[in-house]
Amino acid sequence: MKAATGKGSVASQAPQPDFSASSLAIDRRRADTAGVPAVEIRHLVKDFKTSLKRQPLRAVDDVSITIEAGEVYGLIGPNGSGKSTTMKALLGLVVPTSGTCSIFGKDSLKVDSREDVGFLPENPYFYKHLTGAETLEFYGKLCGLRGVVLKDRVSELLALVDLEGARDRRIAGYSKGMLQRIGLAQALVQEPRLVILDEPTAGVDPLGSRQIRDLILKLRDRGITVFLCSHLLEQVQEVCDQVGIIFKGKIVKSGRLQDLIAIEDQTEIILKDAPPELVAEIEALVKRSGSAEWLRSGKPRTTLERLFLRETSGDES
Amino acid sequence: MTARKSIPFSRVRRVAVIAGHAFTQLVRMKVFYFLGFFAVIGIASNFFNLPQQSGPEALGDNGMDLLRLIKSWSLGPMTLFSVVMGIVSTALLLPKDVEDRTLYTILAKPVPRLDYLAGKLLGVLLLLFVSLALMDLLMVIMLQVRLSIVLEVQASLGQSRGWDAAAIESLKQDTLAQGPTWALQGAVAAVFIRSAIMAAIALLISTFSSSTLFTTVVSFLIYFIGHFQADARDFYFEGGEAGTSAASRYLAMSVSLVFPDFQLFNVIDAVIQGKTMELVQFVKLALAGLYYVAVYTIASWFVFSDKEF
Amino acid sequence: MKAYRKHVILALGLLAAGGLRMSWEAPLTREFRSDGLLAKPVATGTREKIGQTSAAVALGGLRTLVATFLNLKAFSHFEAREWGELAETYDLIVDLAPNTPYYWTTGGWHLAYNSASDSLTRTDLPALRRREAWRDSICRGRAFYERGARLNPGEPSINAELGTLLSNPNKLVDFPAAAAAYKAAADTGKALPYVRRRECLALARIPGRENEALEMARQLYADPHNRIPVLCCVLFAMECRADPSKNPMKLAISIFGDARSAHDQLGDYWVRVRERFPLDGVASALKNLEVILLVPTDESVFNRSLQPKENPDDWFRGR
Repeated sequence: MKAATGKGSVASQAPQPDFSASSLAIDRRRADTAGVPAVEIRHLVKDFKTSLKRQPLRAVDDVSITIEAGEVYGLIGPNGSGKSTTMKALLGLVVPTSGTCSIFGKDSLKVDSREDVGFLPENPYFYKHLTGAETLEFYGKLCGLRGVVLKDRVSELLALVDLEGARDRRIAGYSKGMLQRIGLAQALVQEPRLVILDEPTAGVDPLGSRQIRDLILKLRDRGITVFLCSHLLEQVQEVCDQVGIIFKGKIVKSGRLQDLIAIEDQTEIILKDAPPELVAEIEALVKRSGSAEWLRSGKPRTTLERLFLRETSGDES
Repeated sequence: MTARKSIPFSRVRRVAVIAGHAFTQLVRMKVFYFLGFFAVIGIASNFFNLPQQSGPEALGDNGMDLLRLIKSWSLGPMTLFSVVMGIVSTALLLPKDVEDRTLYTILAKPVPRLDYLAGKLLGVLLLLFVSLALMDLLMVIMLQVRLSIVLEVQASLGQSRGWDAAAIESLKQDTLAQGPTWALQGAVAAVFIRSAIMAAIALLISTFSSSTLFTTVVSFLIYFIGHFQADARDFYFEGGEAGTSAASRYLAMSVSLVFPDFQLFNVIDAVIQGKTMELVQFVKLALAGLYYVAVYTIASWFVFSDKEF
Repeated sequence: MKAYRKHVILALGLLAAGGLRMSWEAPLTREFRSDGLLAKPVATGTREKIGQTSAAVALGGLRTLVATFLNLKAFSHFEAREWGELAETYDLIVDLAPNTPYYWTTGGWHLAYNSASDSLTRTDLPALRRREAWRDSICRGRAFYERGARLNPGEPSINAELGTLLSNPNKLVDFPAAAAAYKAAADTGKALPYVRRRECLALARIPGRENEALEMARQLYADPHNRIPVLCCVLFAMECRADPSKNPMKLAISIFGDARSAHDQLGDYWVRVRERFPLDGVASALKNLEVILLVPTDESVFNRSLQPKENPDDWFRGR
């Protein structure tokens, strides 16, 4: 994170915490809410009325999710399983039929719960007539930022999402990936401690989705809690600490990612530049031990995504 | 949350930000092209003479008619523009935000929904105000130019006919009353107030309607019925003695309770005819407008406060 | 909150707000009406009311604009002598712009004068039908003026035009109605002085109201601006009628200032027979004036040809 060096950067002067002092502010907020989970959804139920006669449609059925501060949580599930509705309930965009949602201990139905959250909706679409910088300025002003603080914040966010080159271009000319990134920057404008991302990589090419993935990891490094939902499992696997699987409105499985996907009775050894004799020797060693079973050996395959990324960007990952 | 405690003006500023944004959004929709149309009409009214109305007499005795013509030709498009813009742009802004999901990003910020609604409405009102002010300026300039010509011709005509000073002066006073007066400014303000009421009504409807078309059509219907509200009210109050049916009286009563009274704004026509609107009367009209706008805005907020998207 | 409960609360809230404003809305309307800012509810038919309001709202503010263009269209109907279309167009125009006197006076003029005169030239019609068309046109013009005058109570020009029509010897003369129309116009306080004078001239020609006319003529005469020939002549005739014992010549000289102008003006007055002005004492005064002014017999007023005495009714006889 780059520190701003603007004049108005003394915390006591500016009405909002300025950028250089913001980590301090986050620390203070953290102290206020120590031990309070970033997200707490309790027994959330949401029915939608379809028509007068028919039974209401239950989109979310008794969902409970707790996300501790600093975690990256991935909610995965097929389309129409209630992911977006859960997020909207958390943001107060829909009213729960029963149950409660809170962000850092504040009821989602209250406006002040949204002071600490940034939201990137699915397929975001911003005001076409604004440039990237103007868009961020608009959202920054909505959050009470202004003057030098706002200017610095906008530049910093544009740098963060790698859109400095498109700073003064109209949003109308942005590609899908750029829209997604400006959306992410918008979500971060007031330095929220929680970011909610609804399908952040839907419809974005692998290169763009890699950039977004890296951004999420950057956020995690900064200690920002991330709540994302996706139906692209591989992505979730790459970034999330915790996952929940939602199906037909119910959470069917949740927990630490490593715990969930580890195959408990198997162990993986990956070697580099190993001569075939060494492999044969190890295989013999395993057979001799009697307690373990040699399942297979061979070359691990890169994913198609990685291949694509390597070929298009020279980036080897 | 001491670090983010709102300072007293932050709410006002937030509404101003949304209003300013809605204003630029509308401006970029090229609504100001209408001003060009208005200028053409205005200038045409200056050169256009009615048949049988040529020669110096047209400027002398009928000069007042010409001034009236300029006024009504100017205030007419002002009314049309402001009411149509007030309704259509309000009806457009809200559904557009929902459709583009920009509403999500705004409401996901610490923005109270009332601030959002008030901001959008104020943005529309700002647009109406600015465009009416520009049209007003154009009208006053044309009126002033024409007035000085008429006065000049009148004075020479009066002298050639041997009128005494008192007669010339009285005609001059009558003519001046047809020129750019404060009452005329009041009429322009009344045009603004009426369109503000319509914008607030369109806002209310768009909070529960699902399409721009529906909002627009219903708003225009309300605008139409609003012009008969006073008649319905009179009918309700006076119909009792006339022995009209109870059903029609209740219908009249509900019309007069729900719809705003747009006949009040016919004072604009009186001003075009050269009547004077006193400041007190204007203030009363403005307060009436404020009441309507406030009621419909609060009702919009009531509907919008727990609306789901 | 349950949706239906919310709607009920909203409806009740709007009704309550409506009830609250009732307490000031109706009085405000009354106040504006009494200050002349809003039109007083005139006894127009419901159809006319709805027509006007609908047109006003439907065309937005552009109704005066549309009225102006319809007025142009009406003018081309006038040039093409399409009187039916012309009348229809004017009905529409005044629905759009009921408060612009110009349209009322112009529409009435087209009907009562242009259309009526045109029917005189309709040689394809038998005399009786021509007469009927002529009468009908004038009556429609008169009705149009009357409607406009009723809708624009504070506006003198329409009533003034109506009075002019009703006292025109070439039309259907109705002096009592003409006097009433002129009076209504003059009472607005905005009419030019000639309107009051013409009221007096109309009164003078209504049997039984001569005293009223005399009183008015005296008052008008007191202001030198009003001393136009015809008013002085009427004042003279009314004075002679009220008191036949007066010496007409002396009276004439005192009214007109000197014998020469008394002779000239009364002479011109004497030949205007078709206008049915009172002629009491005029002949006697003229005779005496001619004696003292030494007017040669062949230049005597009494040898001048009078206005043709025919009535409009005569125009249709035997043609």
